[in-house]
Amino acid sequence: MTDSYIYIIIPLLPLAALMLVFQVNPYHALVIRAILGAVAALVYGVLGAADVALTEALVGTMLAITLYLVAVRSSLVMRLGILQEVEAEGEIDLEELIVNLRKILNQHNLRLEIAEYPNSQALEQALMTKKIHATCTKGEPERDRSYHTAIRVRRLFEIMETELTSPVTTLSYVTVSNLEDKH
Amino acid sequence: MNFILIAMILALLIPIYEAWQDNSIWQKMLAFASIATKTSIMILVISVLRDDWWIGVVAVIILSVGNAGLMLLAHLIKRFNEV
Amino acid sequence: MIEFFSYSCIVIGIIFWFWGTLPLIGKRSVLFKLHSLSVADTLGSMSIVFGLLLKIPSEWPLLLLAIITLAIWNTVLGYVLAYCSSGGGEQ
Repeated sequence: MTDSYIYIIIPLLPLAALMLVFQVNPYHALVIRAILGAVAALVYGVLGAADVALTEALVGTMLAITLYLVAVRSSLVMRLGILQEVEAEGEIDLEELIVNLRKILNQHNLRLEIAEYPNSQALEQALMTKKIHATCTKGEPERDRSYHTAIRVRRLFEIMETELTSPVTTLSYVTVSNLEDKH
Repeated sequence: MNFILIAMILALLIPIYEAWQDNSIWQKMLAFASIATKTSIMILVISVLRDDWWIGVVAVIILSVGNAGLMLLAHLIKRFNEV
Repeated sequence: MIEFFSYSCIVIGIIFWFWGTLPLIGKRSVLFKLHSLSVADTLGSMSIVFGLLLKIPSEWPLLLLAIITLAIWNTVLGYVLAYCSSGGGEQ
């Protein structure tokens, strides 16, 4: 085992690993994880471990990436509950608010999902049972802002508080009685 | 033969650098496609150099599986970008 | 003689690799890069494997399989990537 190229190939593995660690965007990190898997298979193959290389290529590059992609996709989401009648009116304010929310969430690699509920009891119930992360309802008419957004996730509320500059809505943080600490 | 492998490693470094510095996900996918092909060809070359059948078989399997996984990943990313 | 041919095949393959990979760095469109990458990478890899085949003919089933895999899968992959990236880019 005195082949000199081994010494050049092996540093590629920590190099790819560092690239993976310093990647911020989760989707880009997944692609880099796939690159890391390919490089790892190369290193294992060079060192003579054919079975390990095969496992790395099959599981590490194909299966893990596919499953992680689905997991990342379904976990990085903010579900916003609204009333059906509000939607039906098709107000420009609400659409503008949703566009604003989408923009802010996209910067944090999140998606926005809209869930409709028939009445305010069902909406409240969904928030309390953690089916949705936030609700957007019509506020009281005497206030100058026409919508009220209640968020039950602390971090989401902090992001919205600092970045959402829309004059349409007021923001509030609601604590939901829960058994476990994390959402 | 060592020179050939070292030249191959240099060629492998180009897409790795590209994957690191570029910000578009499709450019990263291209770099990954390039890396997947190059690494499996390198494993194949090494297996032939050492006259090791098993590593050669694994190299061919990695070559086809890597491509298949890449297509799967590309379709998933496309679907997820759409919605 | 055959030794010389096999080495020249491998060297040509590596030159193809560099030629196809170097456009990756730069601000060209994805489709342009994909074209150069798929053509030059596949041809380069096939040339390298062919060089190996000349050098060590005893492993011919393996190398033949590698060439066929490269020819089919890389072409299909090029089409799939082009379809996915252009469809995703329009949205």
